[in-house]
This record gives sequence, structure tokens and C-alpha cells, in this order.
Amino acid sequence: MNTQFFVSMAIILATFALYIGIAVFNRAKGTSEFYVAGRGVPPVWNGMAIGADWMSAASFIGMAGTIMVLGYDGLAYIMGWTGGYLLLTFLLAPQLRKSGSYTVPEFIGDRFKSKTALIIAAICTMIISFTYSIGQLSGSGVVIGRLFEIDAKLGTIIGVVLIAIYAAFGGMKGITWTQVAQYLVLIIAYLVPVIFMSLQITGNPLPWLSYGEIVGKLGELDRELGFSEYFAPFEKGSKWQFLALMFTLMAGTAGLPHVIARFYTVSTMKAARWSGAWALLFIGLLYFSAPAYAAFSRFILMTQVAGSKIAELPAWTKTWVDTGLLQVADTSADGILQWNELIIANDIVVMATPEIANLGVFVIGLVAAGAMAAALSTAGGLLIAISSAFAHDIYYRILKPTATDKQRLNVGRITIVVATLLAGLVALNPPGAITQIVAWAFALATGTFFPALVLGVWWKRSNSKGLISGLLVGLGVTLVYIFAAKYGGFTILGIIDTGAGVFGAIAAFATNIIVSLATKPPSQEIQDAVINLRYPEQMTYKDGEVYLEE
Amino acid sequence: MKKIDKSKADAYFREKNTYMIIYFIIWALVSYGVVLFAEPLSDLYFNGFPFHYFMGAQGALAVFIILLFVNAFVGDKIDKKYGIDHNKNEEIGRESTVEH
Repeated sequence: MNTQFFVSMAIILATFALYIGIAVFNRAKGTSEFYVAGRGVPPVWNGMAIGADWMSAASFIGMAGTIMVLGYDGLAYIMGWTGGYLLLTFLLAPQLRKSGSYTVPEFIGDRFKSKTALIIAAICTMIISFTYSIGQLSGSGVVIGRLFEIDAKLGTIIGVVLIAIYAAFGGMKGITWTQVAQYLVLIIAYLVPVIFMSLQITGNPLPWLSYGEIVGKLGELDRELGFSEYFAPFEKGSKWQFLALMFTLMAGTAGLPHVIARFYTVSTMKAARWSGAWALLFIGLLYFSAPAYAAFSRFILMTQVAGSKIAELPAWTKTWVDTGLLQVADTSADGILQWNELIIANDIVVMATPEIANLGVFVIGLVAAGAMAAALSTAGGLLIAISSAFAHDIYYRILKPTATDKQRLNVGRITIVVATLLAGLVALNPPGAITQIVAWAFALATGTFFPALVLGVWWKRSNSKGLISGLLVGLGVTLVYIFAAKYGGFTILGIIDTGAGVFGAIAAFATNIIVSLATKPPSQEIQDAVINLRYPEQMTYKDGEVYLEE
Repeated sequence: MKKIDKSKADAYFREKNTYMIIYFIIWALVSYGVVLFAEPLSDLYFNGFPFHYFMGAQGALAVFIILLFVNAFVGDKIDKKYGIDHNKNEEIGRESTVEH
């Protein structure tokens, strides 16, 4: 056990103590605090919490690497994972907030006056959130495992225990405020290395302004070597795949229950609008930086590693070759490492940067704490979504409507612990690669909740039969396309499994509309409630008239 | 509770929607639009970046953030224009829960 281990451990334990402290201070004293943080989180802090919730361990570690490997085509992830916030903030967030519900399934159940719809929506929420959390917990296990050189499984268990404790204590209120702290940790951990790299390579401390030139230089280097340029469009997939993937990620953002739930914690529709703006600003800080990391790392690898004699590679490459993330071969047997003899894993970009830039043990420990913050914050948001789908939507709304506040709190807490343990168990042996699992969760959200909610909020004619058939058809089409593309090689216009959401969404919209029009319209009361969502809280629509509360 | 003219409420809704549609058009142009024309745009350079790459990595995201803040500001102004008091909204909002 060396200095690095102790420094990293110390920093991480300090941050853990901070999170638990915040959760205890903010422990939920009633169901309103447990599910929606008492409805009073100020927009700036809510936006920061959303930023942490959004940035998962997989993204923190892997996104920069994905962009480096995919080049221009990787930018579909940058636009896809940010542009969705406009869909959410304009079309859904303020209206869902006004409706007064605690969860997405509750909104659906009330909007369509259908217990069946509520149950289906709650089950979909649990499936999507559970799938997504398996990815997070397994990812956090890998992080802890790699950094402390212990088994990833042990790392997963540590993560699971920690989350179960502070999520069960604080509920949504505790989770929101710990996420604010986690955002601060992860943004510092992400920015410090890339700022230093920028200084070292270009002399400019602002990576976002300086890396453009490097992208241009990478293109020149690629041309000299006879490869297609780093920034050349559609090298890795078709233009239609890029567009389909971007749409799936954007619409999925607006359809993921645990993301939508982040807008229930503010007080008004206006606060929801501002929350969305602040959230994207804080998320943007990370997403502006990832392509900079990618460009600088590739530049260093191309100019300082490739082209060198294999016996004289820089010191930092040795440890990474040992972990298997960096592979060096000499297929041309000339003693020199060519660019195409170097194999780089995605994860290396962020994790190796502090070493490449010689930033010292403290920064390396900080990056480890940042990755942990990213993992915990996302997992926390997901577990609350699962807990509320069961404890609020199924237990309280369906099974036992007479339950007292205390009983509801207890069921909520128990559900979090159970869900965490179950997800942790599956995470010990995950069914697929993390990014793949996450991509499927997005595709499912795009094909199910996005069409259901957009039509539910904006089209008063949408009725429960339309909704239910839309949900089921969207789910079916998305799943079928994912399997057909992944295992059968079947594609339309070159769109692969990660773009499947497009087809699910089209099918779901069409089905919902056709079935709604073919069956009885919803009651006047429901249609009035939909129209009511157009106006701010002070205005109420009833029986064809609008009233202003004074 | 004071009854107000339905046409006023309709005008409110229309005004909000008009702005929203404008925001969506811009949103679509800077993301899907640029991707559709990526090849010809790659010949232009901006701050060292090929333009299509600049938009994908920074330009679109910057526009998204600006649009969201504009929406928040403008949304507040429209509310004020129609006589909405945000403190009253807060009061109502904090207590709002679906009654079961």
C-alpha cells in the first residue's frame, strides 16, 4: 500500500463523511420531504443536483474516451445528452409540476383515470430505473476496484451499502442536497486535470478555447499517416444512425422517470423553468470539457507515445500497459511504436490524464473521489425513482390508500434498501457492458414514456386506451428493433440498436393517436385538467372559464 | 377567485407557444440541421475547429443553454404581463399535492 492509496482513500472517506452528514442533517420527516424534498429546493441548487444526477460514473470516466475513439460521430452523445433538456423543460417539466403529483406513474394514473395505466407505468419505471442502476453500481465497483486495487465486486458492495444508508435516511431531500455536494466534488475533479493539460500543451489555461487548434492539428497528423481525419463526419456509422442516436438520447432524457422527478422538488412552474436552465449550465461545464480531454489525450498519444522507440516509451505508459487499458504491439517489427500499433481503451483518457500531466497524488485522489461522486449521485436518484414507484404508486395508491404518513415513510425506506441490495447483487455479474445497458434504458424511455407524456400533457383527446396501447406498442417495437439490430444484423438506413428509440417513438405516437381517436374521448373533467396545465398556478381553468386566484 | 376573460388566457397560451416554437426551430437547426450538412460545413474553420465539429462539440450546447435561460426570462416577463404574481404562485405551489 503506497502513498497514492492512502491519499486517495483519505480524500474519498472525507467526501463520504460529507455526504452522510448532509443526509442526516436533511433527514426526511414526512412523505413530502421523502418524495419531493418538501417542494422547496431553490432552482440553482436543484440545477446543480440535476447535474450530478445526470453525470454518472460511466460518463465521468468513459465519455471523453468514447469521443476520442469515435471522433465526430461521438458528438452525437454530447448533443444528445444535453439537447433533451429543452424537450423536458418546454414540453413536460412545468406542466407535470403543476399537476401536483409526486411521481410520473401517479401523473399518468390521474391524467387517464386508470389504475391499469398507473400499474403499467410504475412497472415500466421500475424496470428502466433498475436496469440503469445496475450499470451505475457495477461502474462504481470498477472505479473503486481499479483505484484501490481490490476486487471490483468488493467495490460494488461498498458503494451499495453507502447509498442504502443515506438514501433511506434522507429520501429525496437528503439525495438532492448530497447531490449538490457531489456536483461540486465532481466538477472540480473533472476540470483541474484538463485545465492543466491545456496549460501544458497550448499555454492557455482555458481548455475550451484552446483545444480547437489541437483538433485541427490532429486532422493534419491523421492525413500524414494516411488515415481519415479525427473530425471527419460519419466515419463510424451512417448519417441516419447519428441522427437517430441523437434523437433517442434527447427524447429519452425527457422520458426517464428519475430525471423528470427532479423537477417535482421545486415550488412552481417558473422554478421548474429556471431549474432546467441552471441544470443545463452545470451539465454543460462537464460536456464542454469532455471533447477537450479527448483531443489533448489523443494529441499526447500521437506525438509523445506513437513514433517513439518501444523501449523508450514515457514512464506513465508502463502502469497503464500493466492494467491492460493500453496495449502496445510491434506488428511491423521495427522497434518503433506506430499509431496503429497502439490500442487504447476508452476509460484511460480521464483516469490517466493526471499522470500524463504529472499532477501528483492529490489530484489523482481527487479524480477518484470525483468518479465516486458521479456514481453515488446517479445511483441515488435512480433508487428514489424505484422506491417511489413501489412505495408510493403501488403500495399507497393501489394497495393501501389508508396508510399513515409514518407507514408510507417506512415502506419507502425499506424499498430503497431492498432495491439497492437487489441491484447490487445483479451488478456483481452484469448482463452487458455499462454503456450498452444505459443505451437500452434510453431507448426504452424514448419508446414508452416520451410519447405517453407529451400526448398526455398536450393533447386532451388522448385517452387511457390510447395510452396503454401506445405504451405497450412502443415498448414492443423498441425491444424488437434492439434485438433485431444487435443479434440479427437487421438495420434500417444503417440505424443500429442504440438508435432504436426512433422507431419505438414513432410507433407509440401513431398507436396512441389512432386508438384514442377510435375510442371514447376522456371525460370533460379530465380534458379540463389538461387545459389547466397550460396556465401558471394562479390561474385555474374550469368549465370553460378561467379564474385568477388573488 | 376572480373570473378573467377566456380570450386573455388564450392569448397567454398562444404567446407562450409562439416563443416555444421559435426556440425549437433554433434547437433543431443547430443540432439536426448542422449534422445534415456536416460534410459541406467541414470545409469551414472556426477557432481552429472544422465548423461542423465546433457546432457538435460546443456551438449547439451553448445555444441550448442560452435558449433555456431566454425561456426562463421571457416566461417570467409574459407571466408579469398577464398579471401573474409569483409570490402567490409559490404559496399555491408549495401546498399542491394531488388529493387522493
